[in-house]
Amino acid sequence: MTYVTRVLASALFAVSLVSGVASADTLADVKKRGHLICGVSTGLIGFSERAADGKWSGFDVDFCRALAAATLGGPDKVEFVPVSASERFTALSQKRFDVLARNTTWTLQREAEFGFLFAGVNFHDGQGFMVHRDTNITSALEIGDRTTCVQAGTSGEALAADFFRENKIPAKLKVLPDAPATLAAFARKECEVMTTDQSGLFAERLKLERPASAVVLADVISKEPLGPLTRADDVRWHMIVKWVNFALIGAEELGVTSQNISEARTSAKPDVRRLVGAEGELGSKLGLSDDWAAKAILAVGNYSELYERNVGTRSRLGIPRGLNQLWSNGGILHAPPIR
Amino acid sequence: MTRSHLFATSCLRAGLAGFAVLLSCLVAKAQGQSPTLDIGDEPGRVSTEEVVIEDGPFARQIVFFRSNEAPGTLVVHTSERLLYLVMPGNRALRYGIGVGREGFTWSGLVKVSRKAEWPDWTPPPEMIQRQPYLPRFMAGGPGNPMGARALYLGSTIYRIHGTNQPETIGHAVSSGCFRLANGDVIDLFTRVPVGAKVVIRHGPSI
Repeated sequence: MTYVTRVLASALFAVSLVSGVASADTLADVKKRGHLICGVSTGLIGFSERAADGKWSGFDVDFCRALAAATLGGPDKVEFVPVSASERFTALSQKRFDVLARNTTWTLQREAEFGFLFAGVNFHDGQGFMVHRDTNITSALEIGDRTTCVQAGTSGEALAADFFRENKIPAKLKVLPDAPATLAAFARKECEVMTTDQSGLFAERLKLERPASAVVLADVISKEPLGPLTRADDVRWHMIVKWVNFALIGAEELGVTSQNISEARTSAKPDVRRLVGAEGELGSKLGLSDDWAAKAILAVGNYSELYERNVGTRSRLGIPRGLNQLWSNGGILHAPPIR
Repeated sequence: MTRSHLFATSCLRAGLAGFAVLLSCLVAKAQGQSPTLDIGDEPGRVSTEEVVIEDGPFARQIVFFRSNEAPGTLVVHTSERLLYLVMPGNRALRYGIGVGREGFTWSGLVKVSRKAEWPDWTPPPEMIQRQPYLPRFMAGGPGNPMGARALYLGSTIYRIHGTNQPETIGHAVSSGCFRLANGDVIDLFTRVPVGAKVVIRHGPSI
């Protein structure tokens, strides 16, 4: 490529970038509207639940609140749109909401074919097993020739079959039409083992007459990285969603919490000061106020607070952090530096 | 009373007992966990060997746990209120704990130096100053706040022990070190020999 064509090409690229921003400016839309619109699950224990008084709560719901706090200054400036698994992608394409925060797995197809961008991972899920406590099974390798209940038509069916075959486990699979039937069969002890994603197992376990009679094994046999996603035509908005997620993770790593956020402004640590906007003027680079991250953390807490309150030790679910620990604590959660 | 108000009150009350105490309150606060449970020791209240945390997040369970520590090591995460016994294959046996004021004051690496069943209890002077109703000495038994078993840590005054207040598991509490429900500390006691490595970790502070 000659110098001239190279300059021309980069100029064209810059023009297309600018026009791209001009055609989709979600941040401007959100600010004009005065509230964020967030697509969430129609109801999933710990992730998105609507109380009788109409108030939403949960892990995904709180992420939306953090985003609303970072962009608009208030965690309650959100409208939640519940969507089913089958309608979620069409609804995102049709701009029925600004962001989809609905336990959705990051895959190639969903970016390259559907035209979305995942803003990162905020929950590493994966397929696991639940057993009756009295079987005394402590590892998936001990399942032996017992019967495993699984829901028809899910990826779980094939994954479980593959796992058993690879590990020469003579387990029998019993396929049930839907999630309630699968749990009912497990509760009636028609199967000693039940399989689906870990988050689902902990939620289903709560519906048992005696949750303590069942144990979710620590083994995870697939990867289901869940995270919020946006349309790919607005890179700045995508970046905002992405860095709100990173800010919450980074805050845990730095020890910044919803409780000490005002003290953090006077911290001597440069990383802490940059995160909370005491220096660096980083928020304005995203088109936000410089205390964007502080507002998000004040609203929902850092990642650890968000996790423990909704799905961890401070919740009914009690899902162990596992892979969702920070990278420095044996997990794989990691946020690039905020500077 | 709001959570923060409750916290402020208990911290203020604790603060009267001295700077070190206030400092430990600040540590607990910095970790953004539930506030210190405002409950004093209850010598004489009976808790038997059978009491375990049966269900919920603080029940004893095998979890995914990746660590560079060798199997058999105990890892205490004070901000999580959890204690891990490292197992092979990225696993740990996890117990819910209550973390007392003394438990927040120090972190590092020690070894289990001694084990005792139904340990006696001699509350240190600072504790008696805070809770003047406490006995000066109490023989081991089901009414003893030290609970059913104790693992003594190095040459320090710190220990992993049982409790006669199982409802304090999962919380920061006003005194003591690392406490487990009696049935759970008995389970741990049988698995951990003298000489086992113990790592105490706190969350980062700003």
